[in-house]
Amino acid sequence: MDPLLYVLDLVVFIGIFGIVSLSLNLEFGFAGLANFGKVAFFLIGAYTYALLSQVGVPFYLCLIASAVVSAIFGLLISLPALRLRADYLAIAILAFGEILRLIVKSEDWLAGGDWGITVAPAISVAGASHRVDALINIGLVYFCLLIFFFIIQLLANSPYGRAMRAIREDELAAEVMGKSRTKFKAQALMIGSAMAGVAGALYVQYQYSVLPGMFMPMITFTVWIMVLLGGPGNNWGVLLGATLVEVFERGTNIAKDYIDLPVDPSNLQYILFGALIIFVLLYRPQGILKESKIRSKVQRLAFNGRRSAKNKGS
Amino acid sequence: MAVNWAQVIFNSVVTGSLYLIGAVGLTLTYGLSKFPNFAHAELITIGAFIGYFVTEQLGLGWPMALVVAFISSGLVGFLCCRGIFQPLARRGSSIIHLMVASIALGFILRHSVGAAWTWKPLYFTTHWSAFDVGPLRITGLWLWLIISALGLSLVMHLFLMYTKMGKAIRASSSNPALARASGINVDRVIWVTWFIGAGLAAVAGVFRGADTQIWPMTGWDIILPVFAVAILGGIGNFYGAIAAAFIIGLAENIGVVGLMALGVSTTYRIGIAFLILIVTLIVKPEGLAMLFRRA
Repeated sequence: MDPLLYVLDLVVFIGIFGIVSLSLNLEFGFAGLANFGKVAFFLIGAYTYALLSQVGVPFYLCLIASAVVSAIFGLLISLPALRLRADYLAIAILAFGEILRLIVKSEDWLAGGDWGITVAPAISVAGASHRVDALINIGLVYFCLLIFFFIIQLLANSPYGRAMRAIREDELAAEVMGKSRTKFKAQALMIGSAMAGVAGALYVQYQYSVLPGMFMPMITFTVWIMVLLGGPGNNWGVLLGATLVEVFERGTNIAKDYIDLPVDPSNLQYILFGALIIFVLLYRPQGILKESKIRSKVQRLAFNGRRSAKNKGS
Repeated sequence: MAVNWAQVIFNSVVTGSLYLIGAVGLTLTYGLSKFPNFAHAELITIGAFIGYFVTEQLGLGWPMALVVAFISSGLVGFLCCRGIFQPLARRGSSIIHLMVASIALGFILRHSVGAAWTWKPLYFTTHWSAFDVGPLRITGLWLWLIISALGLSLVMHLFLMYTKMGKAIRASSSNPALARASGINVDRVIWVTWFIGAGLAAVAGVFRGADTQIWPMTGWDIILPVFAVAILGGIGNFYGAIAAAFIIGLAENIGVVGLMALGVSTTYRIGIAFLILIVTLIVKPEGLAMLFRRA
């Protein structure tokens, strides 16, 4: 395979999974929600895009629709789920994802059932080579990633983000301060789901097809590795985690063509992933990059004020 | 279409028995260690493969398969608890971290099994003769399954109620601090529970494998109903789990009849367990536990 195309492909994947891991960072890193069904919202976005683009809706409307539909599902699941304890929420969302995959798998009329359907690429240039296609996708994916990164970064450093972190640390204390935990958690789940939905849409239009087999629980788990490895609560860290995990995945895929192992490399890859996450949880639970300090205007003013006071004194 | 209701009821008992054996370990370890072990599915899978190994590859009989599967899977459960979950808990991991670790462990075990054997479905070659009793069609395997579930219920009842270890398990589950203060070695109680729970999961795996197929997803295929049993029965509540297993077995089998009558795909039978799970979580997260206060 063309090595340059391989690298471009990797860059697209890092972008797509960067978006998903940012969304999980919002839910888990900032709001403390155990979303074990990330793949469900990824799936909803993907199928929304596939079905709408099939009837000829322009791609930007499809993307927006993916975000909206995923957000609606995120809100719907949050209504009952948010009153639950962390472990119950995890089980409920995990089960939701499995059921959703079951539905798209067995309903042939919906999107081809088990065999799936083909999806038209978002932006197609006549006579473009694979490299150009990949470049166009990089542009599209990283445009979305940039927007989401700014949104999350702003949220995290705003009073809104601080309230979210307060709820994560101590629900009761935050509630006493007048911050409704249900409201904040529902909103986190909604925004996170919308982002995951867009990522799913970008994913299927890049892959030209949508299949139930693309939405195994492994996706959720990979995203969790990205977030936990990179550093929950730190957007840069999460992107770093996404990059590392994708590069590692590709690296092992290349290595298996050259190295002869007694173990099937695809099995070995999952075993290593599992071992890695347990290792991280045991020895570096805060991830590679620690949670970022909150940057706010007040803090900056206070810092500057202290410095000028010092200067005056000397 | 005439429905053979006697058969439906019988099938429910068979299904319920399987779920009961599969879920006992989950509900006990969940109650004791305070987090759901998602790798429980893989303990079921390991049981199925060990059973296959013993009967088909070593050529030993069925009772041997059950015993070996129980012990080896029990050891795996014990080692996981000792080597991963207890150190994590000691380092102050949150419940979310423990759940992620259990999923990670599940992937390690599942793919280790896939590497050691294969991802292609395997089947037991033992032929179970079917015979008719009145309107019922019964196979020997199903009878063994029901007998095992009954035996398990009786033994576990006696164990939990009358032995020192059983009482210690119940005490540690309901109040670890008080149990420790009363001189119970809670760590040892946790190890024994994980061993027994994982072993029972393996027994369920052998039966499930014999009834359908053996592949690395054997356990994951029934993880939803198994969790539904643990939740509906009330976490850590053995008697609740018995009731819940048969309720879910019944709901599934009646549900299948309903699905067929409606002309909907029967692959949705797993959705019934999901529905029960969700409704329980929303309406009454403590499950049936209030009916069985003593356990």
